[in-house]
Amino acid sequence: MTSLQAMQQQMLQAVLAENTQIPSIIGDNGIADARSRLDVYRHGYRVRLRDALQAEFTGLRGMAARRFDTMLDKYISAHPSEHYNIRWYGAGLAAFLDYAYPWRDQPQLADMARLDWAISVAFDAANETSASIADLSVVPPDAWPVLQLSLLQNLHVLDCGCNADAFRRAADQGKPRPRLRRFAPARQILVWRKDTTVHYRRLDDDEWHVLSAAIRGETFAALCACLTGFHGEAAAMPRMVAILQGWLAAGLVRGWTLATA
Amino acid sequence: MVMPATERTDALPYLGYGLGLRVEHYEALLAQPSRVEWLEIVSENYMVHGGLPLVWLERFRERFPLVMHGVSMSIGSTDPLDDDYLARLAALAERIEPAWVSDHLCWTGVQGVNLHDLMPLPYTEEALDHVVARVKQVQDRLKRRILLENVSSYVSFGASQLTEWEFLAEVAERADCLILLDINNIHVSAMNHGFSALDYLRGIPVSRVQQFHLAGYEQGERLIIDTHDAPVSSAVWDLYIEAVRRFGRVSTMIERDDHFPPLAELMAELEHARVLAEPLLRDAA
Repeated sequence: MTSLQAMQQQMLQAVLAENTQIPSIIGDNGIADARSRLDVYRHGYRVRLRDALQAEFTGLRGMAARRFDTMLDKYISAHPSEHYNIRWYGAGLAAFLDYAYPWRDQPQLADMARLDWAISVAFDAANETSASIADLSVVPPDAWPVLQLSLLQNLHVLDCGCNADAFRRAADQGKPRPRLRRFAPARQILVWRKDTTVHYRRLDDDEWHVLSAAIRGETFAALCACLTGFHGEAAAMPRMVAILQGWLAAGLVRGWTLATA
Repeated sequence: MVMPATERTDALPYLGYGLGLRVEHYEALLAQPSRVEWLEIVSENYMVHGGLPLVWLERFRERFPLVMHGVSMSIGSTDPLDDDYLARLAALAERIEPAWVSDHLCWTGVQGVNLHDLMPLPYTEEALDHVVARVKQVQDRLKRRILLENVSSYVSFGASQLTEWEFLAEVAERADCLILLDINNIHVSAMNHGFSALDYLRGIPVSRVQQFHLAGYEQGERLIIDTHDAPVSSAVWDLYIEAVRRFGRVSTMIERDDHFPPLAELMAELEHARVLAEPLLRDAA
């Protein structure tokens, strides 16, 4: 190990662990002692990470309320930052809340963190072009049964055991936090970006089933069959048309192909 | 005596008086014509796949000359240079064709852990060799000379064999890179370590300085903290005058990173820089 390596490792450990001894490599002078000097870096490290998390997890801040800062401090202590961009520091927060006591006993917090993070990831994900209703109007009527929709690659569906979307919406709109509602079984929240705006909404059961089928690449006929179980044969097609129109308006559909036999 | 711009040896353009581009001022900067002549972006904020940041960036690119300023190159770290980081940085530079690309003379992490801070180096021959080799690597990768900025610091190392300005000058000469001189950072470090800010200026080779930063700081109990969240102090304005006298016409900008005032307040600070510098530069012409 070179002396430069050794020095950097000593400094790293001294900044991360607040109660360690002050490394002897740090010089002292009459202006300030070595501990005061090191404390500037120690304090700055934690403040920067906390600021980054607070910016990304606005829904979680509302849901966790007074516990939020303690939660962030514990995460910062347990997880040194590994990405060059501080914006990505929150990538592990939901998983941390899954296992860390006492938050693991309140799974709504991890659900909330997952939604906040999915919204954050969608914000600057790769641009994608959405298809319009006009794009699909060229599909010949007899080809619709074998039509396969291509959905956005940056679309995320989250299983969520609570009304995390309502907490996030309240945070986005500066409104008071809602009452917590738990769902068993979990409901699904869809997160996507249209142009430059990130959207999220809770899915109805039938839409979630048909969306899953579309993500798997199943044909339009199979999507309609999915809905038959929910609505009966007569109502399945109108519901499918309504869902598809909603997807197209929301920019969820990238394009389509026709399945070959 | 002011050094005439014609004696400078680099080929990069003089951009005038600019600002660091921050989200808080996006709308205001585009809303009306201003005397902001160029913008410095934080590279990492736009090293993304898509979405709103790049839409805004294109809008500014149409209206202003841009330069890229990074905070995560970690040129002094003993970890290997991050290939992914450099690839994204190069892609962004290719996309927006900035007048130049800069980062800091520091390390930001080691052993795979990032401190997200501009950590000072020991000013040793070993560190010098290490940094020079890495600057050359980066410049080869980016196919351009980069600018390195002096950082504010709160610790110094007993092992140092050179002054900070000797170290910075040696890096620039040996690696053939340029210097972004942060006037505020010189003042902050001078006060924190007890050296002369004027000695610092006198130790920096004129031909290497391509850009000035001006910013504000916070007076702590014992140390000055480089917060970049306050107006430029009178001490820093005084030092800026000395820097203009020594380095001549250098692209200058106000760098505000927090406690963002209305754009008009930053414009007033920028105007003050003009008012201080232009008479000196005219007299020297």
